[in-house]
Amino acid sequence: MLKFGAAILGAALIAQPALAQQKKPAAVGFPDAPGKEVLVSKCFQCHAPTMWMDLRQDRRAWESTLYRMVGRGALWTQDDIRQMADYLGNVYGRKQ
Amino acid sequence: MRELVARYLSQSISRRTFLKGMTSAGFSLTAANGILESLIPVAHAEDGAAAVKVVEGTGAECFAEQLVASGVKYIFGNSASEDAHFYEALVDRPQLKYILTPHEGPGAAMAAGYVKASGEPTIVMQAAVVGLVNAMGQMFNAYKEQTPLVFYSYRTDQSGRAGRDGFEEVANQEQIVQPMTKYSWLARRPDMIPETVRRAFKAAWTPPHGPTYASWHSDYNDERVRAQIIRQERVDPRMRVRPNPDEVQRAAKLLVEARMPVMIVGDEVYNAKAIGRAVKLAELLGMPVTQARQIYASYPETHPLWVGALPVGRLSSLDYPKNPDVVINVGNKLQHNSPNPMLGGDLKFIDMRIDSLSMGNIIPTDVPLVADVAHGLDDLTAAVQQLVTPALKDKAAARADETRRFHEKAKTLRDLVMKSPDWNRAPMIADRVTREVAQFADKDAIIVHEAGSVALHGFEFDPERGRDLFFYYGAHLGSGVGTAAGVKLARPNRQVICLVGDGSFVFGPTALWNMARLELPVITVVYNNHAYSGPHSRVIEKVPGGRMVQTGQFFHDYLGNPDMNMALIAKGFGVEAELAHSPEELRAALGRARKSTADGKPYLIDAQVARVGVAWADKPWTPPIRVAQERTRKV
Repeated sequence: MLKFGAAILGAALIAQPALAQQKKPAAVGFPDAPGKEVLVSKCFQCHAPTMWMDLRQDRRAWESTLYRMVGRGALWTQDDIRQMADYLGNVYGRKQ
Repeated sequence: MRELVARYLSQSISRRTFLKGMTSAGFSLTAANGILESLIPVAHAEDGAAAVKVVEGTGAECFAEQLVASGVKYIFGNSASEDAHFYEALVDRPQLKYILTPHEGPGAAMAAGYVKASGEPTIVMQAAVVGLVNAMGQMFNAYKEQTPLVFYSYRTDQSGRAGRDGFEEVANQEQIVQPMTKYSWLARRPDMIPETVRRAFKAAWTPPHGPTYASWHSDYNDERVRAQIIRQERVDPRMRVRPNPDEVQRAAKLLVEARMPVMIVGDEVYNAKAIGRAVKLAELLGMPVTQARQIYASYPETHPLWVGALPVGRLSSLDYPKNPDVVINVGNKLQHNSPNPMLGGDLKFIDMRIDSLSMGNIIPTDVPLVADVAHGLDDLTAAVQQLVTPALKDKAAARADETRRFHEKAKTLRDLVMKSPDWNRAPMIADRVTREVAQFADKDAIIVHEAGSVALHGFEFDPERGRDLFFYYGAHLGSGVGTAAGVKLARPNRQVICLVGDGSFVFGPTALWNMARLELPVITVVYNNHAYSGPHSRVIEKVPGGRMVQTGQFFHDYLGNPDMNMALIAKGFGVEAELAHSPEELRAALGRARKSTADGKPYLIDAQVARVGVAWADKPWTPPIRVAQERTRKV
């Protein structure tokens, strides 16, 4: 998995929106850690958990991913992004 | 001058346009006025006689005459030897301008772009069924996007070859297009060519708009006939419908009593030139405004009641307002891409559109308002004004104030995209390319957008006073470059910038040649990440954790190895072009593009964009198919 580098969650959104909306995704597989609440409230608005399942990257790359979501219309504060990047870098960081 | 006179007499242009054309051609205003005065008796005579006239000539001449009478100025076609008599007819009809397009698909996209930007009719011509099937991708787009585009192609000649399954013949040719046209018909005799053409234009241009197809045996073009030619205004039903007044009253009552109404706008607002009316109704009610994906921006994004487009095509995905109780759709087709309706929950829905066929199919409707939306908005605004009380005014003002605060906050948050830690990287992130172009574009630039995986930001579209958008939702790819060429043809005095993904670009670059030949100074920016990034992500979402992800073997998405050089492709079509790897290079390239277009020449920038997404490798795997190594003879 390490060879797969920087990632984006939502490249599909513009071409095929709302597929992730068919069911309300539950936060299954998302361990409790600081920032989880922000992540679930912000990201699940558009994404199904399958968007996360295969992605492991460091915090900086997660931060970049989150800013790409801003480019797609996500209205988040820098503090929201910081908390989500912390959580994702911690829980979905690169495997050692 | 000859052409201007012909167009004036055929009523293709107004007095004003005639005078403008004459003065541009070097005549003084006095001289131009003198010529115009001398033409008035002729024009009046023609006016009475030519609205309906009888023409004798070849079938092709009658075809050409009917095109003039139907208001056509430009014809977009690809070479068809059986249309010889039509080309012959063009020689003495300079008011018909034939644009040779080297592939029918981008040619049809160019025609569609022209229709969208000008509101004027045109026709796309292809050679028999072989050319038709090339154009059908754009016919599909025109059908989905409700573009009034007329297509024509001949069938095998009746007198010699038809019915033998011979060269370029297929049975029931006109039936091929039926699922994606409003009307497809076959002229049964040569003298019926004009009638068939008239019907095609009438059907295409009667709302809701859509593509039509006309066909006849090729030898009908060669035969001499006598046929009636009728101008468009004598067949146009002028379908500008006012809504049912009882339904208007019901809608007005729902809106004034709403706790939080929301308006969704769409292409019918843009096409009806009713954006100002939509703003007026929104302001009257202090009503937030949004838009589901369509072609145009149909509301000023700078207006304080604008709350942004629906991020994932569902009203509930809006950050504000979170709790609407009444929704009014004005002119949006509301194309659903999910099994779930765009609107859910317990809310009242008012649907104002001319496209009655698509109303009520998915979303239950409380108040249908079948109308030309310009009339509909006028009537509804008047009805609301009758019901407004001082208390309701206060309520609307409070709502408007809350919405304005959200609007301003959202703008600030959207600009945070520039805080990305990858903002300055090379190859660039797509957002950087977008923002550079947004900062570069003229205040009234037209943006043609066919970069499907790219979300635009920073443009602040405002079609009536600022920038204009031509997006797509038909999704047969390869339309962007052609559309941009057609838009520039229709609006030569506006900066036109085409934003296109590399995947889309290689489906339809041939219109670059038209840009070069016709001196259409369009700036094309290709977001080139050497990949289909949309399908890449969607496949992983469908098969998460599967063998593709485990092995890194993706068969369907990587366009590198070797990398395609879009700048070299452009140069091959006669368009100056360059690669840009970094934000600095892009900015410099845009400067050169501006100079080139000022000189009347199109320009292309191949912007190198980073591949970003789950499971992308620096050097993606490609299927190990190497034929050269398997040869037994080195030939």
